[in-house]
Amino acid sequence: MTEKHGSARYFVLAIMLSLAMTGLAVRLVFLHLGAGEQSRSMSSKTRTYKETLAVPRGRILDGGPSANILAANVGAKDVWADPSVLIASNKVGVVASQVAAVLGLNPTETATLMNQERRRFVYLARYVPDEQADAVARLKLPGIHLSDTTTRSYPQGEMLCHILGFVNHDGVGSWGIEQCMDKYLKGTPGLLESQLDGRRREMLDRRIQEIQPRDGADVVLTIDQNLQYMLEKSIDAAMEKHRAKAASAIIQRVRTGEILAMVNRPGFNPNDFRSATDEQKLNRAIGYVYEPGSTFKVAVIAAALNEGIVTPTTMFNTENGRWLYQKKVLRDYHPYSQLNVADIIKKSSNIGAAKIAIMLGDERLDRYLRGFNIGSRLGIDLPGEEGGILAPASKWSSISSSRIAIGQGVAVTPLQMLGIMCGIANDGIMMRPYVIKEVVSPNGTVLVRHEPQALGRCIRSDTAAVMREILAHVTEPGGTGTKAAVEGFKVAGKTGTAQKPVKGHYSETDYMASFVGFMPADDPEFGMIVVMDEPQPLHTGGIVSAPVFGEVAEQAARYLGLLPPGPAIEDRSAIASQARVTP
Amino acid sequence: MWKTPTILVGIVLLLLALGIVMLASASSVKGVDAHNDPSYFLKRQMAWLAVALVAGLVTASVDYHKWREYWIPLAVMAAALLVLVLIPHIGYRIGGSRRWLKIGVVSFQPSELAKFAVVIMLSAWTTRVGRRASTFLDGILKPGVMLVVMVGLIFLEPDFGTTLLVAGVGGALLFVAGSPLPYLLGGGTVGLIGFAVAILYDDVRRGRVLAFLMPEKYPAAAYQLHQSMEAFTLGGFWGVGLGESLQKQYFLPEAHTDFILAIIGEELGLVVTCMVIALFAGFLICGLVISLQAPDLFGRLLGTGFTLMTTIQAVINVGVVTGCMPTKGLPLPFISYGGSSLLMSMIAVGVLVNIARQRVVEEDQPKQAVRDKCQWI
Repeated sequence: MTEKHGSARYFVLAIMLSLAMTGLAVRLVFLHLGAGEQSRSMSSKTRTYKETLAVPRGRILDGGPSANILAANVGAKDVWADPSVLIASNKVGVVASQVAAVLGLNPTETATLMNQERRRFVYLARYVPDEQADAVARLKLPGIHLSDTTTRSYPQGEMLCHILGFVNHDGVGSWGIEQCMDKYLKGTPGLLESQLDGRRREMLDRRIQEIQPRDGADVVLTIDQNLQYMLEKSIDAAMEKHRAKAASAIIQRVRTGEILAMVNRPGFNPNDFRSATDEQKLNRAIGYVYEPGSTFKVAVIAAALNEGIVTPTTMFNTENGRWLYQKKVLRDYHPYSQLNVADIIKKSSNIGAAKIAIMLGDERLDRYLRGFNIGSRLGIDLPGEEGGILAPASKWSSISSSRIAIGQGVAVTPLQMLGIMCGIANDGIMMRPYVIKEVVSPNGTVLVRHEPQALGRCIRSDTAAVMREILAHVTEPGGTGTKAAVEGFKVAGKTGTAQKPVKGHYSETDYMASFVGFMPADDPEFGMIVVMDEPQPLHTGGIVSAPVFGEVAEQAARYLGLLPPGPAIEDRSAIASQARVTP
Repeated sequence: MWKTPTILVGIVLLLLALGIVMLASASSVKGVDAHNDPSYFLKRQMAWLAVALVAGLVTASVDYHKWREYWIPLAVMAAALLVLVLIPHIGYRIGGSRRWLKIGVVSFQPSELAKFAVVIMLSAWTTRVGRRASTFLDGILKPGVMLVVMVGLIFLEPDFGTTLLVAGVGGALLFVAGSPLPYLLGGGTVGLIGFAVAILYDDVRRGRVLAFLMPEKYPAAAYQLHQSMEAFTLGGFWGVGLGESLQKQYFLPEAHTDFILAIIGEELGLVVTCMVIALFAGFLICGLVISLQAPDLFGRLLGTGFTLMTTIQAVINVGVVTGCMPTKGLPLPFISYGGSSLLMSMIAVGVLVNIARQRVVEEDQPKQAVRDKCQWI
């Protein structure tokens, strides 16, 4: 072997290795710079994650002294499946039937859900109560998982359902307070966007963004759970007794417009809102218009008194219960030959009221009724309010005013009817009704506070005082609303028995029986309306609705610490405050 | 005058420095995870580096002719250790292969010693047979049998990467020594076929090869390779910055050992990965120049053997990391974490430096004088 021969072989080796290294360098250039954009964007997608940090929804509390919880969150479980695991294990059928049996689902539908090959996550059942979730967990099925969640709970069940509303399964408030205060109740969910390492754990030093979650705020209502309970109990009893189809009742604080109780029947259980019908969900107290009947006479007579065209003692010929006007006959329930203005209210004379309305004239009547907020919304802080129906005076016929005077050809909501009464009770100042007292954040900051708000003056204060005196006679012996009387108190009010309009005529069998009033008559604290829809067979407001008023007002007076007026008691406020200290 | 070895040492020091810096970055995640200490691997590697530097200095000052005298005991010891590592309870198993011997707290790979021993063994043998190296018996059969025994033991661990490396370097040494080409090529072909068959019957390796050939069909096995290539892409030209690697966050297994070049590529970019290639190319050139200037045939073969051992290993490692070859499990010399690999690499560098010191530069300079000078430096 020569030296030269040996060297040649070294060069062969050196060149081969150099070529290999050059090749690697070229490969590196391609890897570093070439065609990497697509895979770069793909990897950044799988390596970042975004998490929404759920926050608890705020509670709804009542306005009573103990701030009772009306809506709160309770823990629950979502049951979900990983179809890829189930399909791979070939046990979809068995697993589906087992899970369906425990959760009360349809096995076929469950199996269909589980058979979605491309998916790794599918909900089988959401908001499952703990007992059922535990039962699922005990089955120890592969591919079936549970995750924590919270669900909205309404501990009082059906109570206040129309006011509270409910939260749908996506966590969005969908009715009542839950809907209109959703933005406060839901809070601000937190956001965490970060990068994951190879074991899919978060890399804390590479966090992209973090938004701190803010819990939902509590909504405090003006509603008092105890008053609500009293009212609901009485309404339920009356509904059953008089076989009514539906009912509404409201208690409103006269001086402020705060709603203390609001009941509607039929109702629903917000914990099971899915099975509720639209009929059940309707908040009749604010969203159902009806012809008010005799209760409406109050507005007409208050207007006439305010205009000074009549006094309480002005006599009217009530035509012995039958009066032909503009070729139409108007009847009274009980015929009288003559009645003064006060007695027209007390005895609820249609003919008397109609004659007063005619004296007043269309223009003035229309102006006063709009002053009482008829035909427009009062602006209560609940969704679904209606404004009632009152045609403008220019479109009235020659008999319109005589019919509006007795609450026909005009439609109001119970809230509007109560508004007229409370306006009179409140010295002629209309107050905006409201149910939300305040919104309090979890750290105690008051975010929203509703103050009483005056809508305007409907009548002068001296007219209001006269009206209160007249209305107090209704519950006295000889009046139509004696059953609304409360022992020891002066109760003002008006009965109403309205035939329901059916297909252009007035029904002879279906009535709206109502009573609206306030107490105490001299210094009103609260107003209340009770409307019963189609009570059978007794159907007059004085018999069906007035007793509910009387029963609830009696309890409410005690609960609110009202004292009966009497000459023996000199300093009422002192005693009242004492009474509150030692209940 | 000392130009070539100075450059060689400079290259090695640069690679060592880059290795330590990158190890600090690449091993921190795993260090925290496994040992609750981000510098766990760094500390160990620093300790090994100190040992390796001392060993390199020592071998640089030991006359390389000494190795020739001890080639038989060295080869026998390497073979014995390779046998020992195969015995259960003595050999320490990592990832399905018995590659490690544990002596106290220190673990050692006998195959690293075997790499060293094979180079000395073949160099010494070829020098002894002299001109007969071009014959079949002394140029192919006898050294071939010795090589096959050693390679076979490594193969049994199994450590296919080192098997391929040692066989390749051994073959290259026989090639430059003047072995008859037909026999050499024939023997090499037979060896490769045997190797391929062995791979077919080994699940792990077959999987690696299949994953390399068809990454879409074996996503799990191709994962590491995919993550490695992704690292280079993420790095781009300038890299994402030192310590900023995303791939080391458990995306790339073996980030601090075999696949450390991928992390270098991600953090420091194309500039530094190409620099690494250039440094190994420089190492190859310096090593071959030193070998060709060696005073005798033994020095020339010894130098060539160590040069090839280091550079071929680097080429295989880079080839694997860049997805040009199936996964092997060979560390990148001077850079990857691993004590015995570092130690043996530095000893090889030491031997090369010693050869360089004894080289023939000018005819009038007496050989013995240079040798004496080297004895005590």
